Amino acid sequence: MSQAPLPAQAAAEPAGLAARAAARVAEHPTLALTGILAILVLATGFVEPNYLSVSGARNTLLQAAPLGILAGAQTILMLTGGIDLSVTMIATGSAYVAANQSPEGAVIAILLGILVGLVVGSANGVGVAVFRVNPLIMTLAMSGILLGLFTAWAQTILQGSTQMGPFIKLLGGGSFLGNRVPYSVVVWALIAGGLIWLLRRTGWGRLLYAIGDNEVAVRLAGVRVWQVRITAYIVAGVLGSISGILLGGRTGAVDLQLANAFLLPSVAAAVIGGTSIFGGVGGYTGTILGALILSVLNSMLTFLNVGQAIQQVVYGGIVLALAWGYAGLTRRA
Amino acid sequence: MMTALRSAGVALWRTGLARNTWTLGVWLLLSALLLWYATLIPVFGQFQVTSISKNSLPLVYLAIGQAIIVIAGGIDLSLGALLLLTNALAARFMDDQPFAMVLFIAIVLIAGLGILNALVGYIISVSGVPDIVVTLATGYIWSGFALWILPSPGGGTAPEFRWLFTGAQSGIGGTYVMPILMMAVPAILVFLLSRHTRLGLSIYAIGSDSVAARLAGLDVRRAKISSYAIGGAMAALAGLATVALTGTGDPRFSVGANATLNSVAAVVLGGVALVGGTGLVLGAVAAGVILIMLNPILSAMGIDPNNAQIIQGLLIAGVMMVGGLVTLLRERSA
Repeated sequence: MSQAPLPAQAAAEPAGLAARAAARVAEHPTLALTGILAILVLATGFVEPNYLSVSGARNTLLQAAPLGILAGAQTILMLTGGIDLSVTMIATGSAYVAANQSPEGAVIAILLGILVGLVVGSANGVGVAVFRVNPLIMTLAMSGILLGLFTAWAQTILQGSTQMGPFIKLLGGGSFLGNRVPYSVVVWALIAGGLIWLLRRTGWGRLLYAIGDNEVAVRLAGVRVWQVRITAYIVAGVLGSISGILLGGRTGAVDLQLANAFLLPSVAAAVIGGTSIFGGVGGYTGTILGALILSVLNSMLTFLNVGQAIQQVVYGGIVLALAWGYAGLTRRA
Repeated sequence: MMTALRSAGVALWRTGLARNTWTLGVWLLLSALLLWYATLIPVFGQFQVTSISKNSLPLVYLAIGQAIIVIAGGIDLSLGALLLLTNALAARFMDDQPFAMVLFIAIVLIAGLGILNALVGYIISVSGVPDIVVTLATGYIWSGFALWILPSPGGGTAPEFRWLFTGAQSGIGGTYVMPILMMAVPAILVFLLSRHTRLGLSIYAIGSDSVAARLAGLDVRRAKISSYAIGGAMAALAGLATVALTGTGDPRFSVGANATLNSVAAVVLGGVALVGGTGLVLGAVAAGVILIMLNPILSAMGIDPNNAQIIQGLLIAGVMMVGGLVTLLRERSA
């Protein structure tokens, strides 16, 4: 660590411009992320020329919306030093309930679906904030409980429809303005605006950062930390529900594996976007870019048609490289 | 003189007990569950003990590896993927080979995965990227390789190799001597390494406070890399045990992901706190066996497998809540 300033100084003299550019990128990491996103989009266009079109963008956004919302849940919790490994089971469960209640009408289906996130998020919050269970363990256990419950309920009280109603299908997979803008992206944009406002402009948002930075100091300042934590888990649960309902609407029919594959990407999107897993640092803007990057990467790997094995290797390699590059950039700053 | 020595010995025992209450509690819980299981079913004998001990082998190995890494202040979400990779490599290359060759492959795999995960530890320590993120990414890479090596379930191993882990060449029945031996020997070796060697103590030290450890002159990076190397070798053992148990290879991503999550659960239930620097490897061993044993116990009680999953989750959350409550009350009273 002690030799780090030396190469930086050496580089500054012959190429002041490059050094200044690097410093600027380090100050605004979103610039670097936007650059990476642009490169990935162009590379994907190179692989599949048809990708650089409205329908290509729409397909990527359709993929990115549920992931971005899940990653939003992860971002909020990671800011407080927490994490939610049950968020994809919440999503799956909500979609299951929504599909089951679809014959009752879209409003009831969506509200009952979101209720799942409210209840599970509260339970997670109480476990983590009041009983001080490690969030990794609490939400891991919750994920197992939910899987068991919904597997059992699928044969009993949730027997019946596994098809989403037409309104939810439209919301999750449909588009407007001549089939250009997906409705799910509008939902995502509203949520994104809300989250960014909450994190930047409200006391609650500032408290999330403060708790992740130094919980003891926040408690000594008179804040009821446990209440903030519980609300954070509830918000995360609701975001999980919304994401699940959109995802279910996109696929049309639901099963108990619906959102499983999104768990690790939801964490990865937040991390790539610069939110620290230890809390206190980050924001939702970076997460949005992270979710877009992962979705474009996914499209590219699908177009390359290299098979699942190579896809996983490349995916892991790029996530690692991005996180490494990000850590290097921000440490130098 | 003698009485003074004896009372000193008693005091030492008392502090030892107070420090390791959780580990002791987990072992008591395991014994209680075993006794209860014995009364639940009509015949309790060699078959049940063999079945529980051999089926717990993969999770116990992963839990030992995860415990060492967590004690050193890290966490490895790629252990399940390393299990997959070993499982795939072993099933692919051990198929139709003589026992000597199979043993040779096993040793190469244990050493190879130890080195591979040491490299991951090195990357974590030079990059400054959190452990959880690096291992999340490498987990994808290893399970991709596993799928590449063995695109669909298949492959096999030598019957003698299956006997080594299960006590029977067919993998069915057999005696409990081999599985218990295969569980106890690595567990005790890693436990002794962690408590009675310079390396083990430095692993505890960096997990407890890495800055203080560095200022005290310890090689933090070396200890960290060593913990990951041990974790990789244990994951390789878990993969080998899987191939011995099932007689085949299965490269599915979800198998690895579940194994990773179970290893984290076993470590925390076993009293190794995720903040690092505390707990004993032996606690994680007992917790691993408990997690596996719940399934036969619940099915002996006539509870269907879905509810068993719910009960397992409730048990993990419940135990951790009680633990959290106890520390909370202790803090309040202090």
